Amino acid sequence: MTDRERIRNFSIIAHVDHGKSTLADRILEATRAVSEREMREQYLDQLELERERGITIKAAAVRLNYRAKDGVTYVLNLIDTPGHVDFHYEVSRALAAVEGVLLVVDASQGIEAQTIANFFLALEHDHAIIPVVNKIDLPSARPEEVALEIEETFGIPASEAIFASGKTGEGVDAILEAIVHRIPPPQGDPEAPLKALIFDSVYDKYQGVVPYLRVFEGTVRPGDAIRIWSTGKTFEVTRVGVFRPGGIEATEGLSAGEVGWLMAGIREIGDAQVGDTITHAHRPTDAPYPGFKPAKPVVFAGLFPVDSQEYNRLRDALEKLKLNDAALVFEPESSDALGFGFRVGFLGLLHAEIVQERLEREFGLELIATAPSVVYRVRTVDGEEVEIHNPSELPDPTRIAEVLEPYVRLSVFTPEAYVGPIMQLLQERRGRMINMLYHGKRVELVYEVPFAEILYDFHDRLKSISRGYASMDYEQIGYRPGDLVKVDILVHGQRVDALAFIAHREKAYRIARQVVDKLAEVIPRQLFPVAVQAAIGSKIIARATVKALRKDVLAKCYGGDVTRKKKLLERQKEGKKRLKAIGQVEVPQEAFLAVLRAGRED
Amino acid sequence: MTSLYVHVPFCPTICPYCDFHAVRRTRGAVAAYLERLEAEARALAPARTPLRTLYYGGGTPSYLREDELVRLLSLGLPLEAGAEVTLEANPGTLNRSRLALLRSLGVNRLSIGVQSFQDPVLRGLGRAHRARGAYRAIEEALDAGFRVSIDLILGLPGQDPERDLKEAVRLGVGHVSAYTLIVEPGTPFALAGLRENPDREARAFALAEAILGEAGLVRYEVANFARPGEEARHNQVYWRMGFWAGLGPSAASHEPAGAPGLYAVRRTRPPLHRWLAGEPPAEEPIPPREHVREALMMGLRTREGVDVAGLEAATGLKLWERLRPAAERLAEAGLLEVGKGRLVPTAGGLDLVHSLVLPLWEALS
Repeated sequence: MTDRERIRNFSIIAHVDHGKSTLADRILEATRAVSEREMREQYLDQLELERERGITIKAAAVRLNYRAKDGVTYVLNLIDTPGHVDFHYEVSRALAAVEGVLLVVDASQGIEAQTIANFFLALEHDHAIIPVVNKIDLPSARPEEVALEIEETFGIPASEAIFASGKTGEGVDAILEAIVHRIPPPQGDPEAPLKALIFDSVYDKYQGVVPYLRVFEGTVRPGDAIRIWSTGKTFEVTRVGVFRPGGIEATEGLSAGEVGWLMAGIREIGDAQVGDTITHAHRPTDAPYPGFKPAKPVVFAGLFPVDSQEYNRLRDALEKLKLNDAALVFEPESSDALGFGFRVGFLGLLHAEIVQERLEREFGLELIATAPSVVYRVRTVDGEEVEIHNPSELPDPTRIAEVLEPYVRLSVFTPEAYVGPIMQLLQERRGRMINMLYHGKRVELVYEVPFAEILYDFHDRLKSISRGYASMDYEQIGYRPGDLVKVDILVHGQRVDALAFIAHREKAYRIARQVVDKLAEVIPRQLFPVAVQAAIGSKIIARATVKALRKDVLAKCYGGDVTRKKKLLERQKEGKKRLKAIGQVEVPQEAFLAVLRAGRED
Repeated sequence: MTSLYVHVPFCPTICPYCDFHAVRRTRGAVAAYLERLEAEARALAPARTPLRTLYYGGGTPSYLREDELVRLLSLGLPLEAGAEVTLEANPGTLNRSRLALLRSLGVNRLSIGVQSFQDPVLRGLGRAHRARGAYRAIEEALDAGFRVSIDLILGLPGQDPERDLKEAVRLGVGHVSAYTLIVEPGTPFALAGLRENPDREARAFALAEAILGEAGLVRYEVANFARPGEEARHNQVYWRMGFWAGLGPSAASHEPAGAPGLYAVRRTRPPLHRWLAGEPPAEEPIPPREHVREALMMGLRTREGVDVAGLEAATGLKLWERLRPAAERLAEAGLLEVGKGRLVPTAGGLDLVHSLVLPLWEALS
């Protein structure tokens, strides 16, 4: 256990792509936590997917020893935070575990939407904030201007900003000194009842769920009986320890101010959720760390195995992923069109993509995903309120008193020049302006907008109309009634449950038109003409036709061609396996994402 | 086996769409080829029943010199009376004296690679001949008493298919092989970015059925039209998935297996240089079920269809009950006629053979 006065707990927060991970690597290198030989690009992003996508998905922590210029060796705990707006809550919990942050801003881009969102999160925790103007090696860098921007926007004097480059390592020493001198050591009484915050967890095959902790009060040691605050379950601690680059290290205990992990044979991820509090079973703390919210998915999609035989494998794979991901929820679902699968809940589209990609890559599953949908709520005429995870479950209109949809508070950060077109876009998306703030030459637009309207393509559209300059951040703000209808899709006269979607009544016609056109494009020609229709109730609102197939290959075929021809046909047969039969019509996987695509082309 | 295919791999030029086994002749190559071919034929001859059909394909068999042609066409294999002996030829390699020579060596049918009667199209295809040469070759071949088939490629960019088809009719050939250009991966056409155009091809084939049909040439196979009695008997053996022997580099044979549990064996010989070195053919055993799949794939290309009852008798497999539901669905779609123990594609079905074969294969698996 370490002398509290020599501990500094900090996080790095930044807008996506502002160089957070590279800077973290340089800090690791400078403290010789990782030798240059071991040094690998972006050390903290450990999942293969994280490195590929260049974003941090899970939080990670590492403990470094730093001998400062005053001759004292400090213990620095760096907690890395997820870098995407889908993971807002996870970021807030990681920030709860530290006393200070490095606010990293790109020296050419300047402040962006996530910079602001992260700043306010840090401010809420009353953290020491060290502004770092990063990427000063770039020719387009304008560090002084960005430092002034930070001063104007956040009130942190420009003189406090550190100019740095994760690429060249410039400024890293100054950052380390600032961490030691500007961030206060943690508080807390090691003798008090235990109060420790879970800021992340991992699953280990042998040890079960291993929570990552920040201890605020008291001390936890192997052999202690601990209790999880929200579930009330108790466990016996087998090992505790701290993080080392490239691994973990067991210690005698963790006490107030320290960051580490513990093993206690916890089997279910639900018993170690991010934000929950761990205390002693026999001498509990009087109040948990505030702000715990059980992970709640906001987007649902159907996942179905292409081969129905793979259903059990898919279930096992989802269960395995869930061990490491409390936000992932799933329930069995059966679709007339797609057979047996699961309705899976996610924190956002990125989370959905990641889960699907991991299922396909790590478990070798072939999946059909239906278009993700937000969670609607319906008040029925009987006064009941039900959550709708799947558009096809929307009750008959005669039973509906009111449909409610989730709203977000959206903040868009943009150069002045694009304010007009962005406001127009938000108008189209049924947004309501709440505020418009000037930060130097940049404008922050704050809107309340239905979550469904920004789910699929909003970010892409925002980027394209602002030539890449605008950025966004959002948070969920609850449900509001809307004039919403269910649109059914019929293929060759047959209603396809997996293609149904919910839309605002005024937009339903246009979206329906796009969806049927897209479907007519992706459904291969069959031996007969196929009608694709969209309907609200029994009223057809859009229609397109897939023309009948007239010919396939008209090549010659003689004795020497038998083997080759057979292979060609075998390949076609394999291709057909990836099609799903809806009645007599064979539909490719991508058809089930037509709703998503339709939105992308307005 | 009463059918034999002989592969002659030499070509004067290699067409930019070709992915068959074809090579340019180099010094000594043809002599070495003929020597090995004669040895193969000698090994085959003692056990032979007389041939009903013999087919020299390529490559361009007619490209050989006269003395080489004599050796090629005198392999000493017994022929049945009235046997069909076909040779593939390019217009530029035929003249009156060579035609007379071929006739005297027993060839009675020529398959001439015309492709088109339009010079810009021929140039685009990289062919060595022009329309005038094609007219002359066809006329002289007919005069010399050969049964003549011509190859036409339909659906090419810049081609007037109607004109090509009407020229074929006017010349009075009894057989036309019409096919669309397949841009095979790796061929110069594919590398030049040429793409197939299904709609243009479908229109061209509809024209072929109308124009050739009017002239009495029936579409008896997906890509072949013939006056009744003028069908390519050798190729019909392939489409009926009968047995045939093969000689020469990269030639494939389909022979009775002579082993329990197997229906047939396919032997595919290696390409020229490995074949010259004496490398034996690759063998692919064909179990009864595989034979049925192949017989469906090939037979459904023809207007006579597939004799399912005959297949049941030959393989001992129960097929009809398994195939019938799928066949009836295809019949409802207007693509297939389901007769007594026979599956026969309709005229529309011939354009959609893949769509016929795949569900029937599926029904068997």
